[in-house]
Amino acid sequence: MRKRFLTGVIAATVAVTSLVAVSSSQAASIDYSKCTDLKSCGGMDALVKAAQKEGKLNVITLPRDWANYGEAMDLFSKAFGIKITDDNPDGSSAYEIQTVKTAPKSKIPDAVDVGITYGADNVNLFAPYKVATWKDIPAQWKEASGRWAGDYYGQIALAYDTSVTKAPKSFADLKDPAFKGQVAIGGDPTGAQEALMSVFAANQASAGAATNIQAGIDYFKGLKASGNFVSVLANGQNLAAGAYKVSFSWDFNGPGAIASAAKIGKTIKYVIPSDAVIKGTPYIMAIPFNAPHPAAARLWSEFLYSQNKGKVTATLGSVKGMSGSKIFASIRGGQNIWISGAAHPITEEAMRTNGLAINPPAGFETPAGATVVQPTPDQQTAAKELLKAQWPNL
Amino acid sequence: MRIKKHSCLPLLPFLLFTGYFLLWPILGVTLKSLHNNNGQWSLSNYAPLISGAYRHAFITSIRLSVITSVISSILGAYFTLVIVKNASSRVTSIIESISAVFANSGGVPLAFMYIAAFGAEGLLTKVLKFCGWNIYAGRFTLFSFTGVVLVYTFFMTPLMIIVFRPAILGLRKEWSEASLNLGASTLTYWRRVAIPILTPSFIGSFFLLFAGAFSAYATARALTVGTVPLVPIIIGTLVDGNVISDQANLGDALAVGMILVAGVAMIGYIWAQKSAAKWRQS
Repeated sequence: MRKRFLTGVIAATVAVTSLVAVSSSQAASIDYSKCTDLKSCGGMDALVKAAQKEGKLNVITLPRDWANYGEAMDLFSKAFGIKITDDNPDGSSAYEIQTVKTAPKSKIPDAVDVGITYGADNVNLFAPYKVATWKDIPAQWKEASGRWAGDYYGQIALAYDTSVTKAPKSFADLKDPAFKGQVAIGGDPTGAQEALMSVFAANQASAGAATNIQAGIDYFKGLKASGNFVSVLANGQNLAAGAYKVSFSWDFNGPGAIASAAKIGKTIKYVIPSDAVIKGTPYIMAIPFNAPHPAAARLWSEFLYSQNKGKVTATLGSVKGMSGSKIFASIRGGQNIWISGAAHPITEEAMRTNGLAINPPAGFETPAGATVVQPTPDQQTAAKELLKAQWPNL
Repeated sequence: MRIKKHSCLPLLPFLLFTGYFLLWPILGVTLKSLHNNNGQWSLSNYAPLISGAYRHAFITSIRLSVITSVISSILGAYFTLVIVKNASSRVTSIIESISAVFANSGGVPLAFMYIAAFGAEGLLTKVLKFCGWNIYAGRFTLFSFTGVVLVYTFFMTPLMIIVFRPAILGLRKEWSEASLNLGASTLTYWRRVAIPILTPSFIGSFFLLFAGAFSAYATARALTVGTVPLVPIIIGTLVDGNVISDQANLGDALAVGMILVAGVAMIGYIWAQKSAAKWRQS
């Protein structure tokens, strides 16, 4: 009964909506919650105009110092005059999905940035949209109809307080007794992606193949037995308290972490270890079907995937009187904003080929000639099974 | 009759509150735990609980709670006795206030307090080292099962002082005088009068501490990054992690397991309260 009633309501709503659509003018007839690429959204000028009319963008769980998101949000707001609300900046992927499912319409995020399994498992929550640079996204990191796509990924770096007796350059270095009680990890690898990839990196450094993470677990077991590993959570607060000096971190958290450590008089450095270069699974971006600001959501998406070098927040002058497409062309795109924040944008390969990529900040370069390993989703699932049994008894 | 109906009205906010924040979530968690990932009725979430890593987590959680509750209840009872017997009313009220503050400290701030004090570079670690005792010379580390026991004891002992003090104050002077008049030694008085009277309150307090320790989450999480398997931490990774996306219902099943354990503790608490009340009536 209830179902039938609902169907009736939906049918009636659709009928009314289509009536409204017919009666309004041609330009306004674009349904921004349905358009699937820039062309069907009426082009950049129309998209910017519609987004500005909405005036707002809801994002969710984007820490300002994570992968340079602070700069991305500031630049977007300044260039287009759209106010961004960032709900629960430190929340998890699970929180994002939960919010999409249960929040009242006005609080639903216009875009999510989640771990890849959350995209694949919730594909029906997302609207298909293909950005202008869609073809540059490697095929294995996008959903064919455009419901989600990878946006950037990180590499595991060693982050250390420069007060250590000798600067570590590799995972092997950390076995030195000089690091007793000083090595920590940024979370539980059964729950935190960064920590999981840290174990993969230790695995590679210990000559383990990504198909079997045992050598990585054994590496941490060894460090714990020697007393070098402490199970304190690696974060800024505990670093400040001197609870540890070396940890494993996404390289894209480096610039933010270095800046906040400097504020409390600590000098920390990041280095990509010489014996393991682990490329994380990309995070993915998706636009929920019921996004309250559908045009702004699509503009944000175009912006994040734009490969422009353009101006940043600090150098962007007045955009008054400029057309939407002109503003868009004059500002730095998300892909290069990520590079300047030591992250790795999903279209980096194509950007390098076409000479569109800027250089990463000094100190974050991948060692020349390193073998880069990117654990596949299946390998990660297998790793999690082993970790679930062994990490609690490290 | 009319009066009775009205007398329920002031209770309404409380009933709504417990209904919404306690009973409703319990119902939700239980129902979700009985569904598999495809939304069908199933017991499949409960199968992993009785073996392997999750069973081990329950055992570790219960072990941690029992150990910390035993230590804290004994220490707390002892301190309470000393305070009631010796301290002036002014000192007592100061101790009471301090206990209340410590008993309510917890979570990440408590963990951080310990890290700042007893971490490898902690202030107290340095002071002790200066005095010739390097606490890190042996196997000790704050970031382990032992460390968590230490930190939990810190907030549970003051809690014991608060919940157990009324029982000690309830020991009437007449009872000890009467037994002395009948020729009992102090030891006999304690053995045959005071301790039997205090036992139910002691057990009740123990169950209360147990429930508190069993459900604590943030402190242990900040100190162990999952290297000590505790059920609340595992539930946290299952329902609010970034790695495992499809096992929230398993987290619900673990939560139901916790509710059952806590329920047993609460039944013990209620029984103990009833027994203790016998002596307060006359």
